[in-house]
Order: sequence, then structure tokens, then C-alpha cells
Amino acid sequence: MGEDPNQDGKRFDPLDAWRGVRDIYMDAWSKNMVEMVNTEAYAQATGAMLDTYLTASTPFREALEKAMVKTLEQLAMPTRADVVSIAERMTNIEMRLDDLDAKLDTIQRLITQAGAGPQPQPRKAPQPAKKTVAAKKTTKRGRK
Amino acid sequence: MAEATVITDPYTEAAERLKTLTKVMTTKAAIAQTPKELVWTLNKAKLYRYTPVLPKEKRHPIPLVLVFALMNRPYILDLRPGHSFVEYMVNKGYDLYLLDWGAPGPEDKNLKFDDYTLDYMPRAIRKLKATFGVEQFSLLGWCIGAILTTIYAALRGDEDGLRNLILLTAPLDFSNKQGLTFARWTDERYFDIDKVLAAFGNMPGEMIDYGAKALKPVENYIGNYVKLWDNIDDPRIVESWHAMNTWVTDNVPLAGGAFRQLIVDLYRKDKLMRGELVIRGERVDLSRIHANLLTVIAEDDHITPSCQSEPIMAKVSSADKELYRVRGGHIGIMAGSGASKFTWPHIDGWLAPRSK
Repeated sequence: MGEDPNQDGKRFDPLDAWRGVRDIYMDAWSKNMVEMVNTEAYAQATGAMLDTYLTASTPFREALEKAMVKTLEQLAMPTRADVVSIAERMTNIEMRLDDLDAKLDTIQRLITQAGAGPQPQPRKAPQPAKKTVAAKKTTKRGRK
Repeated sequence: MAEATVITDPYTEAAERLKTLTKVMTTKAAIAQTPKELVWTLNKAKLYRYTPVLPKEKRHPIPLVLVFALMNRPYILDLRPGHSFVEYMVNKGYDLYLLDWGAPGPEDKNLKFDDYTLDYMPRAIRKLKATFGVEQFSLLGWCIGAILTTIYAALRGDEDGLRNLILLTAPLDFSNKQGLTFARWTDERYFDIDKVLAAFGNMPGEMIDYGAKALKPVENYIGNYVKLWDNIDDPRIVESWHAMNTWVTDNVPLAGGAFRQLIVDLYRKDKLMRGELVIRGERVDLSRIHANLLTVIAEDDHITPSCQSEPIMAKVSSADKELYRVRGGHIGIMAGSGASKFTWPHIDGWLAPRSK
């Protein structure tokens, strides 16, 4: 390998010429391939391959899925359908929570607009809870 | 990435190259590093707010929400420090949000454009407005994200306070079947969508990835790696390649319902541009879009040719609209080396005066 840098500061590389030929060849190959994938024949061929794969694999996939469902049921484990069902319900709950969040945001905005935003309450020393009638009754009942 | 060292021994040199190659091929790059906080979440979708770096008085009052495609991770917008659209826009004073759709599970196979545009997007926008006290906002949609933002803009844009709409490489017009390779591949004569979705539920990310790469097979399956090997001694290029490869190989499935709409309603029947697309009983009328519109077209885009993005300019009612063409590919215009010189400054230049 030549190790002395040339005038451009680069070392002589005997593979440079090969790279040039390679790039020209790849450009031509690339253009041909782009033209090829744009043909009806290519679309038809890839479609047929996919269709063949799906047709051949579907019976095996369905048999495997049935066996898996039975196995999981025997083991008292949730199946994919169960997990999917729970996930769908979770999303519905999230939607409801988002609806509630929207309503709370609206209420908060209206309160702020009305100039009656929540005022900070002066802090009081903690007071012992007052005995209510219900509490008294409960106490009495408890004594009985 | 470690700095390049001067190595003269050819065997050591080859060993170092193989070490670098192994590293970038088997590890994930550190991506999406701009600080952000979670604002809202529903199912797999999350709305993030990027932490502002400028004080409030120096920021634009109208926030910008980024909406990326359903079948790729959105961190392409925040790939790595110094090469991040998110970082660029945050530094320019935008209050920036990202709507991340997440990865749909088997329970989401029936999610459609209807759900994304009339449930998820309005709820996320409502939360944004309520939490941060804004009435108007801007939307940036990229690729399938641009389809979603267009539908949303037509159905709820005016009502929700959409002020500016930016569409990047938006596949909206599907009338030119001869010019669209995807349209040919998914033609009903060759592609049985019922069979595919019955087998998989959601469209697997690997199949979508194959479809995208097969448009330019030599470049994606061979040229990409040849380019890496040729530049394996350049840490700058290796780092960039590593980050992009991390994103490219991180595939997300596309919800079955949305995939069916994309293929049947759009690729096959071109319903959106013909004004026949119905979302939850409402016809999507593009003339109901009044927001300021910037459409960005990538001139070398092989996934979304310009013929798919241009026609919306004549359909919307926006008084203020601009079509911007930039050299680059579908992803390159936002994540390539020229993005920070052309696309990002243009978007900022267009959006800044409209965000006051």
C-alpha cells in the first residue's frame, strides 16, 4: 500500500479506479431496477407471491391460533382476544376520562373568566372535629 | 463518536473499520435528545411539549404542533443534536409540540383516519389550548401526517383555531396512477387487502418498510451500505448514517383500518381530492380550509411525487398560500444535509410572521 500522501494530501489508493467503475455500474443497475419495479409485471409478480404466501400460511396460522386458545384456556390464562378486549375497554375509559378532563378545564376557564377564581384560604390551626348529631347517635349506639 | 486516528498499518486499519461497521450495524444511535414533557396521552398517542429555551416574551405566541406519519417514528424530526428540526425551531422561539401516534397493537386494528382526525387530534389540541391558554395554533404534517392534518383542517380547522398549515411531501392527489408505483402495486387486481388484513390485523412495519425500500432497491439494499463502507473513516458521515439507520430500521405497524382507507379510498379511488371522502359521516371538503398554507415539495421525492402535493393549492380557500419546492428526497428535505440550509429556514421564515 502506498503510504506517501499525494499533492491533495490523500494517499494513493489503487481501488479508486475500481470504485469509479463500480459506481457507474451501480447507477445503471439502479436505473434499470427502478424501471423494473415500476412495471405491471413486477406488481403482478409481487402480488402473486404475497397471495401464495397468505394462502399457504393461513391454514397453519389458524390451526396454531386455535391450539393456542385451547391451551391457554386449559391453563386458565388469558388469550389474545381477552387482552385485546381489556385494552379496548381501557381506551374507552381513557376517552371518558378525557371527556371529564375537558369539562373540568371548561369549568375552570369559566370560573377564571368570571373573576371568581378559587381564592387562597387563610390557614387556620387544626381544630378538633365537632361532634355531630349523627356522631353522637353512633357513639350512643356503640355504647349500647 | 471517537475522532479519527491516523493508522498506517493496513491490518489495524481494516480491524478498526470492521469495528466501526459492527458498531453502527448492531447498535442504536442516541436520537431524540431535545428535552420534552408529556402533556396528554390517549391509548398509544402522546402529545409532547418541547422545553422552550427562550423566555416567554421572546417566543412566538402561536404554538406549532408536529404531526408525523403513522408508520414511522416521529423522532426523524429530532434526529440528533445539531441536526434536528425540533432543536432548530425551539431555538427560533417556537412553542413546539409533537403528536406521537405510537405503535398500534392488535387492539387498534380498527383505528381509521376517522379516529385519528376526529378523536385524537381534536382532543390533543383541546388539551394544548386549555393547558397553555392559547386560542390559535399551527400544524405541520409530514407524509401520511399531512393527509391527517389536511382532513383535520377541512373538518375542524376553523372551529379549533387552526391558523397556519404546513404540509410536507403530502400525498393527497392519487389521480395520476401511472406516476405512482405504490398505486400500481396496490391495484385491486394484484393486491388483496382483505386477505392481508385478515392475516395480520395491522399492516406490519416490515412490509411497509419493504414497500418503501423496493421503490429504489439497489440504492436502499446495496448502495446505502456501500456508501457507509466508502466513508467508514469519516466519523461525521458514520454518525449521520448511524442515526438515520436507527430511524429507518425502527418500523411501526399501520393500523388496519387506516391502511385500508389509504389503499382503497385514496390510492384506488382518489376520494380526498375528488371531494368524496367521508369521515364519520362528514364529507371532507378541501375548500373549507382557510388557514394560511405552506406546501413543501421535494423535487426528487420518489415516494410522494410532486403531482400528489401540488393540486391542493387550487382546492383550498386559504387567501395566503405558498408552494415551496426544494431539492431533495422524501426524508432528505427535512433530515438531510441540506435541510438546515434550505427547508428549515424557509419554514421558519414563512411561519414566524404568521405566528404573531
